[in-house]
Amino acid sequence: MNSFNTSLISRILTVSSCLFIFLLGIMLLALSAGSAGSGIREGIRAVFSFFVEDPARDPILQTIIWQIRFPRVILAALVGATLSLGGLVFQALLRNPLAEPYILGISGGSAIGAIIGILMGFSRFPGVSITAFAGSMATLSLVLMMSSGQTVLKKDALLLSGVMVNAFCSAVIMFLISLTQDARLHNIIFWLMGDFSLVEMNQVYIVAATVLPCFVLVFCLSNSMNLMLMGKDIAQSMGVNFKLVTIALLITTSFMVSATVAQCGLIGFVGLVIPHLLRLLLGADHRLMVPACIIGGAGYMVTCDLLARTLPEHGEIPAGVITAIIGAPLFIFLLKKSKS
Amino acid sequence: MRKIYYICGVILLSIFFGGETGYCQSREVEDSLGRLVHVPTNPVRVVSLAPSVTEVVFALEQGHRLTGATRFSNYPPEAKHLPRVGSYIHLDVEKIVSLRPDLCLAIKDGNPVDAIRKLERLGIPVYAVDPRNLKAVMGMISDIGGLLGAEAKADEIIEDMQERVEKIRAAVSGISEYPAVFFQIGVAPIVSVGTDTFLHELITLAGGKNMTAGPKPYPRFTVEQVIVMAPDVMIITSMDRGKGFDSVRARWKQWENIPAVKNNRIYLIDSDIVDRPTPRLVEGLEVLAGYINPDAFQAIP
Repeated sequence: MNSFNTSLISRILTVSSCLFIFLLGIMLLALSAGSAGSGIREGIRAVFSFFVEDPARDPILQTIIWQIRFPRVILAALVGATLSLGGLVFQALLRNPLAEPYILGISGGSAIGAIIGILMGFSRFPGVSITAFAGSMATLSLVLMMSSGQTVLKKDALLLSGVMVNAFCSAVIMFLISLTQDARLHNIIFWLMGDFSLVEMNQVYIVAATVLPCFVLVFCLSNSMNLMLMGKDIAQSMGVNFKLVTIALLITTSFMVSATVAQCGLIGFVGLVIPHLLRLLLGADHRLMVPACIIGGAGYMVTCDLLARTLPEHGEIPAGVITAIIGAPLFIFLLKKSKS
Repeated sequence: MRKIYYICGVILLSIFFGGETGYCQSREVEDSLGRLVHVPTNPVRVVSLAPSVTEVVFALEQGHRLTGATRFSNYPPEAKHLPRVGSYIHLDVEKIVSLRPDLCLAIKDGNPVDAIRKLERLGIPVYAVDPRNLKAVMGMISDIGGLLGAEAKADEIIEDMQERVEKIRAAVSGISEYPAVFFQIGVAPIVSVGTDTFLHELITLAGGKNMTAGPKPYPRFTVEQVIVMAPDVMIITSMDRGKGFDSVRARWKQWENIPAVKNNRIYLIDSDIVDRPTPRLVEGLEVLAGYINPDAFQAIP
């Protein structure tokens, strides 16, 4: 079955390269701006002076750009791509436009796992990542169990189950926090709201090695997602192994989401904003949407992180606060629209 | 390949001309955590990573060496004008690097380890202090004095502190029964201090019995538990700069069976002089002694 013809491939390439240029622009801006105080114009010149021989360049600014800002920009891009793709996959699989890892409680479950890992004194990797993944799988099965009567996933039941699981997760998180008394507490609270402030290159490598193979897998299954949206029977008659693909996609998505949660905490609503925005522009073909969501989500997250560290005069606000401020109103708007 | 030559050239140049910033002469010292740190012999661009460290540097009359300090570095007033490098618990690494420090002074409890490691990886020497009790605070003053070439001033400060502590110790020795003290550092929830804190040490030195001594450093309590404790003296710190004190005191006033309420012995103390590891701790000790044992300390100014 040849699902990728020439016109589709050229369309994918065009859309991806347009979005990629946008992503590069945002990344350049994110590398140039920061609390070190040099202006944007000087920052941009400093970024470019790395690639050409500029005798006037400032070694301190180079250090700041490449060793402090660069890792966090790359990690923000990876996390944004993961969360946005996660939203797309959940929306397709559960046939619910409001599904998203954060709203369904998957992120909350990973956070519980991660906090338990932190409190048990595990290292970020692999210890905390494994407990985070276990937490996300537990909440995923809980949500699916609660919402599935027989075989049909009802729209409202799913959303309500997610809300309940999420509320339960927040309660458990608050419980764990109230048990903690030491210096780790402040760090956990900041991390919970999505924190990119102390990113190291090795964290970037770990996240990249975890999520990039997942991206490839999801892209390979993108045509199956298209067929599955037409209904179980049609998909099966077209040769899609419905059960296997569903399970593979759910586990892959939970795995990559939990990997990002373990590294930088809870960041919500990215999986809602980007897929909806891009669907309006590009239509519902997942073969096009998967790469678009990856690149678009990356650009969006880098933007939110840039706002998080440049808006306040002193210090920075957690990136998760920015994504929620933008995302939550959109969620309400979509809910209202889908009801009417 | 040319780029590599260029980078090598930059490094060589910075070593060669580094003398101006004091980089060329360095020595190896062991900090309070037993780590070996290469520090410049004459540091001129010091960034302090905690308000207490800032205070100590100014007390040593070495404030001119500071190029940056954390938020809430509010004492002495000159410290307010230093560039800010985030809060001590959430350091702004980018800002610190941009100030080109030749030495950072960190504090073990509070500064996040990740941020310190990042600074060190970027080639900035970080000297950590660990002042967990009054004796260690004096050690810290002496250590920082040694780093900044102010040994004589450090000795002078420590001597003064010891003298004032001794005076209080002598006055307390005559007291037969220590009054029961409840020290409140948090309002909602009610938080007090355990054994392994400055405040416990200060309360005991001032001739008080800390009712909340125990292994938890900052235990939480309910109103019921405080009533049962029946403290003779209640002291509340000004965590929010004293604004909430009146309302907190008014809330305690309704429990007439607490001795401290009955005898009107609820006091406010400036948290900066009792929870920051600085020379001002002795000042805090004197205020506490006056609150807990007013009769014994009337003589001390």
